[in-house]
Amino acid sequence: MRSLQSKLGYGLTLSLIAVFTVLWFLVSLNIQYLAEEYIASRLRHDAEMLLSTIHFDKAGNLGIDESTIDLVYSKPFSGHYYFITSGNQTMSSRSLWDQQLGSVLVKAGDQISNYQDGPDNQLLLVISNGFIKQGYPLSVTVAEDLNPVKRNIRQFQTRFAITAIVMLLLLVVLQALILRHSMKSLSRIHEELQSLQQGEANQLNADAPTELRPLVNEINHLLVVMEQRLRRSRDALGDLAHAVKRPLTIIQQLTDKNRNALPADLNAGLVRQVTEINQLTDRILKRARLAGHGHSSARFSFLHDLPQLIETLDIIYNDKSIANQVDFPEEANCPIDREDMLELLGNLLDNAYKWANKRVNITVAINPELTICIEDDGPGTDPNRFEQLDKRGVRLDETKKGYGFGLSIASDIVREYSGTLLFSTSNTLGGFRVDITLPIEGVFINPKDK
Amino acid sequence: MRLLLAEDDLDLVAILKKDLETAGYAVDVADNGIDAEYLGNEAIYDVAVLDLGLPRRNGIEVLNNWRAKGNNLPVVVLTARNAWHERVEGLKVGADDYLGKPFHVEELLARLTALLHRTSQQPGGTLRVCNMVLDEERQNVTTTDGLSHKLTGTEFRLLRYLLLHPGKVLSKSELTDHIYDQDSDKDSNIIEVYIRRLRKLMGNDCIETRRGQGYVFRDH
Repeated sequence: MRSLQSKLGYGLTLSLIAVFTVLWFLVSLNIQYLAEEYIASRLRHDAEMLLSTIHFDKAGNLGIDESTIDLVYSKPFSGHYYFITSGNQTMSSRSLWDQQLGSVLVKAGDQISNYQDGPDNQLLLVISNGFIKQGYPLSVTVAEDLNPVKRNIRQFQTRFAITAIVMLLLLVVLQALILRHSMKSLSRIHEELQSLQQGEANQLNADAPTELRPLVNEINHLLVVMEQRLRRSRDALGDLAHAVKRPLTIIQQLTDKNRNALPADLNAGLVRQVTEINQLTDRILKRARLAGHGHSSARFSFLHDLPQLIETLDIIYNDKSIANQVDFPEEANCPIDREDMLELLGNLLDNAYKWANKRVNITVAINPELTICIEDDGPGTDPNRFEQLDKRGVRLDETKKGYGFGLSIASDIVREYSGTLLFSTSNTLGGFRVDITLPIEGVFINPKDK
Repeated sequence: MRLLLAEDDLDLVAILKKDLETAGYAVDVADNGIDAEYLGNEAIYDVAVLDLGLPRRNGIEVLNNWRAKGNNLPVVVLTARNAWHERVEGLKVGADDYLGKPFHVEELLARLTALLHRTSQQPGGTLRVCNMVLDEERQNVTTTDGLSHKLTGTEFRLLRYLLLHPGKVLSKSELTDHIYDQDSDKDSNIIEVYIRRLRKLMGNDCIETRRGQGYVFRDH
């Protein structure tokens, strides 16, 4: 879905364009109408003025007293013209020069107006009035050039259009600012969601705008419920593990103790079964414990958790004193559950420590996927067996307890996070090498999807 | 070596106690967290095996309280949960080693031995002091003349304690505390008898008597 901000922006811009266009048309039409109406009423006055100067002599000849007529009617092609007809007598303004106005005989009291092409490419508004003076019918036609007015109107239209466009742009910018301001609370929630994803926060700030408050409350509620459910199921699984391991431990001790009393194959069978039950419960419980993507519980931090894990391994493998080299970027905070990541790295590092002679290297990079490489200087593994390693508890060497089993748990975890796990031989140290790739974006917020 | 076994599973305790005693530990058992915490503060234990799933007070809490009081008792944590975050947590609050259930007794014994060597700064697999080598697994001692001697249970316990604390004045009551568990009949005169037996094996100048104070094992 397109973002609300651009949606609102587009909508408002389009409606503003529509409003300004309609306004421009209405104003232009009205101005034209008013101007022509004004010219027409002036022409009517001129016609009446002309009528007052017209006289018929006794023979019925048409005459006019030019001295009282406005000068514009004398200047050639001035744009102001008159034309008087009475019977077959005609009389026209000097401004008409040798041109004629197409006129019709209008009945007394009638008025006809039309547009005509005049001299000099003029567009004339022509009004003919019919009168009766001294008993003679006559029609007085007056005309005025509309071009100067039209030019003014066009000028006005241009100015109006420019003003409208400037106003439009100002309004668009203004509304974008208003929108951005009101979207600020949204982007704050966006930031909070990101810090939630990074594991820096457990809850969204409830100080959201009224429209969003139900959403924020619902998310917070879900987070609490999910957290509680995860904790509860993890506790229950822990208790189950405890309950199952108790009798297993006893059986193991008993078989150890009675190694010599029992027939060898019976004892070996018992040991094998106990080991298998143990590994199966471990694996299933561990898989069930996985938080997976999208949980808000504590996130793994390379800065804080990795050194502690390595310290733990150093203590467990105290007799070997393994040197390790750890490289991770400063900001290597990954949106992966802390317990899941400890389990993943714990199993892989345990394996590396178990086999290493002196060195274990850990290299972490984000580009933009999270890649972790763990290498040791141990004997490594036959490349033909790499593919089977993460299968259920394949053991490559029966003398070291649980080898391969840890790798299969690691593989479960990586699969849960839709990542990949790759086994190979280390080029630098010569031993076993594990490469983990975990996609860490697009969990429940994609930062790019703004 | 006096060992505190904090474990609530009585079947497991029955088996473990016997194995640990055979391996030369004087074992006291606590079957709940509160007793375990109390006993652990008694300053008579050399090492504790602490189950995390104890009733009444869980193991992590017990360990935390010990460490908060400045009690540095070496602790091997036992747990059924086997999750890495718990190992990290356990070692963070001050566990010295970790063992997941189910386990082989041999592994527990090996870890206990390694831990005791580590805490008394005696690196290496065997206890070797003053040209003498103590084989903790077989419980015999090879003396300077190259002869190997089988030790009785109490001789072994006493010698191991001495070897792990060379150069230190050890009183009779301290030796009794660390060699016998709480149910044993403690007679400090017995110590003199065993010291005499050890001297017979290794020569007189190995163990020096400090009148009124106790004994010192000479570490040269």
